[in-house]
Amino acid sequence: MARKSWVALVGAFALVTVGVTYVMGLWITPPDVFQGNLVRLIYVHPAVAWVAYLAYGVTSLSSLAYLWKKTRNYKWDLLAASSAEVGVVFTALTLITGSIWGRPTWGVWWTWDARLTTTALLLVLYLGYLALRRVSEDREQRAKRSAVAALIAFIDVPIVHQSVVWWKTLHQSATVFNADLNPKIHGEMAWTLLLGFLSFTVVYVWMVIKRYDIAKAQFKLEDQTIERAIKERVGTV
Amino acid sequence: MGTLIMTPESEVLDTSSRYTTDWKEIPGAKRRKKKIKRSAVAAIFVVVAALVFILYKGLSSALVYFYTAQQAVADKTHLGTSTFRMEGVVVPGTVQPTASGVNFSIRFDHTVVPVVEIGAPPQLFQPSVPVVVVGHFSSNASNVFLSDQIMVKHSANYVAAHPSRIKDPGGAS
Repeated sequence: MARKSWVALVGAFALVTVGVTYVMGLWITPPDVFQGNLVRLIYVHPAVAWVAYLAYGVTSLSSLAYLWKKTRNYKWDLLAASSAEVGVVFTALTLITGSIWGRPTWGVWWTWDARLTTTALLLVLYLGYLALRRVSEDREQRAKRSAVAALIAFIDVPIVHQSVVWWKTLHQSATVFNADLNPKIHGEMAWTLLLGFLSFTVVYVWMVIKRYDIAKAQFKLEDQTIERAIKERVGTV
Repeated sequence: MGTLIMTPESEVLDTSSRYTTDWKEIPGAKRRKKKIKRSAVAAIFVVVAALVFILYKGLSSALVYFYTAQQAVADKTHLGTSTFRMEGVVVPGTVQPTASGVNFSIRFDHTVVPVVEIGAPPQLFQPSVPVVVVGHFSSNASNVFLSDQIMVKHSANYVAAHPSRIKDPGGAS
């Protein structure tokens, strides 16, 4: 299958799974015994948070692949940047959906507990990574610097995940990925939760492919601009 | 005009220098580069400021987000009437709405602390739920906690509201 139709298929699959999650989450699943209808945000909020972790994981692995001399290739740098950009979008979504969920359940839009603070830190760290990418015009320098920065920023990801265990927080602990790996959610609610994880992961894959294609096209365009400038001045090369 | 005389050497020199300056300059490139640099440095400055702010908040607030009611009472001489967050479970039967808010008690293990809340409690506030209250002890002698904010600390467990009705609409069970 051609690459283009394969990517389109991923996009269509993302759309369908998100659609099914939407219907399941809003109409099919039952209200929670304590939270009532507010529980329905669980089909979105943990899923987008997971995608942010995943995105930064991919950024870290690609950064490592760039830094390692045997696999050094600008492709890894572009993939790292693309994934980080999507990760920032999903981190922002995590904070926004969490805030919307927190207001009616906790009673506050925001509070400085460890989970919320480290998540805000995560967003700023990767915004810093994206800002750093704009400082240097030299490709190699940019790739190296940002790869190192990406690896440093990733330290915060396990801290965010463990924050509810290590410190006293208002935020609840993990429902699915808890210490004894025993999901504290059942039936349709559990299935819809997992479907949410799947659907937003597929959305992530599609977004990264698209962003990577744009990054690659931009990379080629830079090369062509330089070549054209040389040609204009010295005729044929 | 006509006085300009060029030796072959100077002409060669001149040409090469012209080429070297032209060579690197793509029209507008220098200015664009400068502009990118300035905005990037500004962006990094903003990011660093945000980092410092969050770290400050994290160190001052997130690490000891709350004291349990038990810890607060045990540490009362030290806490005095300073403002902090306190956690405990709302004791059933103690919730009494007042004109300005609600009175209730919270419990952690065997320590019970009476709370006077000024302001409306959140919608999920009810007996037997864990809450975090923000405020201070009314005086050094009294155990009454004056709060101006209640946050409901719900668990990570999710249970269908009417499991039997969902599973078995016929109502056989």
